[in-house]
Formats: sequence, C-alpha cells, structure tokens
Amino acid sequence: MKSILIEIGELSYFAGRFFREAFKRPFEYREFLRQCYNMGNRSFLLVGITGFIIGLVFTLQSRPTLQEFGAVSWMPSMVGISIIREIGPIITALICAGRIGSGIGAELGSMRVTEQIDAMDVSGTNPFKYLVVTRILATTLMLPILVVLSDAIALYGSYLVENLKGDVSFQLYFNEVFGSLEFGDVVPSTIKSFFFGFAIGLVGCFKGYTCGKGTEGVGRAANAAVVYTSMVLFILDFLAVLVSDIFYDL
Amino acid sequence: MKEKSNTQKLKLGIFVIAGLVLFIIGVYLIGNQQSMFGSTIRLYASFQNINGLKTGNNVRFSGLTIGTVKSIDMLNDSMLIVGMAIDKSSATHIHKGATAAIGTDGLVGNMIINIIAGKNQTTTVEEGDTLTSFRKLNTDEMLSTLNVTNENAALLTADLLKITRAINAGQGPFATLINDKAAAADISQALQNFRQTSYAALKIMQHTDQLVLSLNDSKGLVGLAKDSTTSNHIRNVAANLDKTSNNLNVAVKDLQLTINEIRNGKGTLNYLVNDTSLAIKVDTTMGKLDMTLDQLHEAGIKLNENLEALKHNFLFRGYFKKLEKEKAKVTGNR
Repeated sequence: MKSILIEIGELSYFAGRFFREAFKRPFEYREFLRQCYNMGNRSFLLVGITGFIIGLVFTLQSRPTLQEFGAVSWMPSMVGISIIREIGPIITALICAGRIGSGIGAELGSMRVTEQIDAMDVSGTNPFKYLVVTRILATTLMLPILVVLSDAIALYGSYLVENLKGDVSFQLYFNEVFGSLEFGDVVPSTIKSFFFGFAIGLVGCFKGYTCGKGTEGVGRAANAAVVYTSMVLFILDFLAVLVSDIFYDL
Repeated sequence: MKEKSNTQKLKLGIFVIAGLVLFIIGVYLIGNQQSMFGSTIRLYASFQNINGLKTGNNVRFSGLTIGTVKSIDMLNDSMLIVGMAIDKSSATHIHKGATAAIGTDGLVGNMIINIIAGKNQTTTVEEGDTLTSFRKLNTDEMLSTLNVTNENAALLTADLLKITRAINAGQGPFATLINDKAAAADISQALQNFRQTSYAALKIMQHTDQLVLSLNDSKGLVGLAKDSTTSNHIRNVAANLDKTSNNLNVAVKDLQLTINEIRNGKGTLNYLVNDTSLAIKVDTTMGKLDMTLDQLHEAGIKLNENLEALKHNFLFRGYFKKLEKEKAKVTGNR
C-alpha cells in the first residue's frame, strides 16, 4: 500500500515537472513532430484495423437481438452513440497504451539503463524536456485524432454490415448516426481522449524515466507502463463519465 | 535526413488534417441536426405539462424536423413556456393558426414538439410569436383511465361471482331453470320447435328467393318488363286498351242515351218493344205467312210431278236428250 502511495506521489511530482517544463523555452519542436509522427501515423494502421473490426463485430453481434425486437432501424443510432461516446475512445486508448505506452517505457528505460539520459544531462541538454515533454505532448495531441479516425472507420465498418445484411444507404445510415448524436456525446469523449493521451504518455514516460537497473528493469518498465496505463485509463474513463454526467445530463 | 524529415512532416500533416476534418464534419452534422447553424427564428408555445420535454429535443412540422427546443421556462404554477428555434426557411410555411403538441418520437423515443398546420392560412409566423398548444392524452392519463376500467371490471367480476354462487346454491329463478329437468325438457322441445321453424322459414326464404330470381330472370315478369321490345308491346297494348276503353265508354254512353230514350217512349224500337197490339198483329201475320208457305210447298211438289211427266212426253223428250248429250260432251273435253 505504501509503495503504491509512493508511486502515486512520484507520478504526481513527475506530472508537475512536466507542466513546469512544458511551458519553458526552448521548445523541442523537431522531436515533438517526430514523436507525433511515430505515435500518430505509425499507430494509425493498427488503430484503423481495430476500429474497423470493432464496428463490424459490434454490429454483427447486436443485430440479431435488435432484429428480435424489430428495432434494426435503431442500429445506426445505437452503434453511433456507443462508438463515439465510449468504445472508440477507450479501445483506441488501450491499443495505444499497448503500442505507444510500452514503446515509451522500453525506449526511455533502455536509455536510462544505458545512461544516455545521464549523458544528455551532462551534455547540457534537458533530457526531461527533450524526451518526456515531447512524448507526453505528442500522445496528448495525437490520441484524439486517432480516436476520431478510429470512430469514423468503426462506423464505416458498421455501415458495411448493415448494408450487406439489410438495405440501408450510406446517407441514411450516417443521417441516423448524426441524428442521434448530440454535443453531449461528442464533447466529453473528445476531452476524455486528450486525458487518455496524456495518461498514456505520462505513465509510459514515468515508468521508462524511472526505470530500474539492468535489462530486467527495462522489461519491467515496459510491462508496468502498459498495465498501469490501462488501469489509469479505466479510472479516467469512470471519472469522465461522472463529470460529463454532471455537465451534460446524459 | 532532411528529406525523410520533410516526408514525415507531410504525412503527419495529412494525418492531423484528416482527423481534424473528420471531427469538424462530425461537429457540423450534429450541429446541423440541432439547428445550430443557419438562421432561425424563435417561436413559443405554452403548455400545462411538458411530459419530460428537454432543451435540444426536436421540433417537427408535418413530420419534418425544422428546429429544436431551446428554452423551457415556468410562467406560473400551471403554465410552462417552451422556446423553439425554428429554421427560418421552414418558418415561412408555418401559419399563425398552427398548433403545437408534445409527442414522442416513436413508441419509446425522445419527446418532440409537433407543429400542426392550422386553418388560418393568411399570415405566416414571425419572430417571437406564441403558438396555441394542443394537449394530447399522455401515457399516465391513459393508464389512469385503464385503472378505472380495471376497477370496474373487478366490481363486475365480483358481482358475477355472487350470481354464479347463488345459481350453484340453487337460489333464484336461474338456478330453478338450470336444475329443473322438466324445464330443461321444455327448453329442449322449444329449441327443437324453433329449429324446425327456422328450417321451414329457411325453405320459405329459399322459395321466395327462387321466385324473386325467376321474376328477375329474362323469362320472368320483371325480365319481360325489362326487355325493351316486350315493354314496347305492352305499352302499345296498354295504349290500345286505353283507346278501346275510351271508345267503349262513349259507346256505353250512347247506349245509355238510347235506352233512356226507349224508356221515355221515343223512337221505333220503343214502339216495337212496348206496343202489344203490334205484337199480336205480327203474330197473326206470321201465322198467315206460315200457312202460305205450306201451300207453296204443296204447289211445288205438284209442279215437280208435272215437270217429270213433261220429260216423258214425246214432245219434249228430244230436247231433254239433246241437253244430256251436250252435258256429256263438256265432261269428256275436260
């Protein structure tokens, strides 16, 4: 219990340091763009495929039940709300936690083990600013974009199933989807995505930056980055639902 | 290295723009559904009960979504005023007599406001107008009515139970009717009679039906009457009959006049009918005439005898033979 509280305390200090460093000059623009490319573009294929399959499977699984009630016409509304509000952000965040979080943990962990971070410090480069701030900012900004793309692809996958199984046009399907959505669905999920991205970057960087000694420490850092990030994501999701419930009367 | 970096930047730019464009399209479509973009006018409607209507619910006119509910304010303890943002182009079709009613989108869908076109088709609504509201029967009220019906049904079944128990206990005329075997036999007999009567009535009906059919048939009376040729004939006959009856009427009148004249002693016929001396004279004349005829008959017989004797006389024999020969010759030529 004590170790968990210590861990949370250290994470809070780490987050505080990030906010301090993030608004200080100089800004590592090139590294930030490189990280954006690595985390955004390179995750897109994985996130896109996952989103597409989620859309397909979700529609295929829900269809028979809705068919029993004669409510197949409600499929676009149901899928739209589910994907935009919850499934899209959380699935994309979990995928990114696995791919990006572990990558950051392993990369920074190995840099720590091989004393590259110390070397940067000695050479006058601020390793925190260069390695941590850029990564956290990149994940924070890239995850919402990945979520939007993933949502669009998932909805398209759902439309394909509806079009094959039923007789729904593209226009009708997306009219139904956007007809059932409100800003109370889109705004909280978008804000939530920024927090998810921030959490992935923060926990991944924290675990890698504070990695233990040896190759074992690198493995542990990578693993812990994924596990803790996933847990933090669910906690954040729960908090996001509570907060959006207050503001948007869901 | 710089080339690679530029390619990465380009790809990143495309990625970010794609995400942002999709997000903006999504936001626009949602906002468009909620009439957030484009010009709108504000209309109001007051209700006693809004049945859970919320801001953001759709407003429909003739089934088309034309706006959303923007505000709900309590006017006093029994009146709520609902503000609606209506698309300006759609508002040009709403007239001042239109009414607003709160309904549901489907059986279990969201609450909506339906604007129903009114009879006053003269002027269209303007910014800030208040529409008259129409109160529909809501589910609670329907359930309340159903509750009253259920209570009545319960009372009815309780009364029915009492009656059936009394019947089972042998109380009252119904019980007697059910338990009395003689009455049952009478009822059975009555039913049998009724069955026979109904069977006979059925037969009569069938006969009547056939009769009506035969009448309607082309060979029947009605059929003949329907046939144009026959009906023309009948019409002619009737016309002739009418003429004949008229003539007969005239003849009867004349006859009546003649009879009256006869009765009054005018004309020859009266003399013939009423004068008895004339009758005696005629009778005497007839007797004499009868005697004359007898005498003539006797004279004829005697003349025949004389003629026969003359045939055999030698003076006339030659003449009679000549006549016979000419007669035979004429016959032979034929």
